[in-house]
Amino acid sequence: MKTRIKKALEEATVSTFEDICFMYPVPELKDIQKNMKLEAAAEVKYRGNFNGKLIIETRGDLLSAITANILSDDFPSSQQKNDALGEIANIICGNIVPYLGRGGKGYKIQSPKSLNKNELSEEKKQGTPVAKITLNFDQGRADIKFFVDGDLAVKEKKR
Amino acid sequence: MALNILVVDDSSVMRSIIIKTLKLSGIPLGDIWEAQNGEEGLRLLQEKWIDLALVDIHMPVMDGEEMIRHLRESDQYSNLPVIVISSESDPGKIEMIHRQGATFIHKPFKPETLKEVIVAITGVSHEDKD
Repeated sequence: MKTRIKKALEEATVSTFEDICFMYPVPELKDIQKNMKLEAAAEVKYRGNFNGKLIIETRGDLLSAITANILSDDFPSSQQKNDALGEIANIICGNIVPYLGRGGKGYKIQSPKSLNKNELSEEKKQGTPVAKITLNFDQGRADIKFFVDGDLAVKEKKR
Repeated sequence: MALNILVVDDSSVMRSIIIKTLKLSGIPLGDIWEAQNGEEGLRLLQEKWIDLALVDIHMPVMDGEEMIRHLRESDQYSNLPVIVISSESDPGKIEMIHRQGATFIHKPFKPETLKEVIVAITGVSHEDKD
């Protein structure tokens, strides 16, 4: 299941960035992108047959570029940037939960929440992601992590 | 014929994305109206001439399902073309939307997909100018 989730995460994230944000990833991670500072983070929790969350982090000036692109406004507010990141997280998460089985039946996705640096570090401590991907852009990079509460393998056996 | 379109979504960012995608789709557009929830959407429908509604499901005050139910029960808007745009993946919910006579588009979506669906349900085409 982990492989399927990772593949789904990659596909959903790329399409979301391309179709919703009008941003196209670049293949190579340059040294400068590896060391970029955290710009913003958001999480979306889901409840259903499995529970868990998706966390998205942007580095560099990526979120500013995304929001400017979406709104056609070069100076988006912090609120607009947070809303944009939350919306992206929500769309990606909605595309992954069907891969947890039953075609996504009965899953509820909660409203996205912005995370500050401390909250992000606390959330990341709670478990290891089942899948994670990094997308690189000229303006920065995005790290997306998908978590399932408890042990996915054990839960799968019980089902 | 240019379409007057109502976009109903509680996220202003998502409304902007939908409007941008509509513009990129090449569909002839008239006036575009925005509402933050179903209740506001129904109010705008009373005030403006609207040919098509693009509606989210999960919204505060009045969600998309309830808004569509009101539309289908009204004499004036029972046949209004409605497209639900959502990241909802529950097949039961999606089936309910279809039963209400609405079309479902899953997020993320491309301008071409939006155009295809709009052409199919309204009959408008990019050759239509007025």
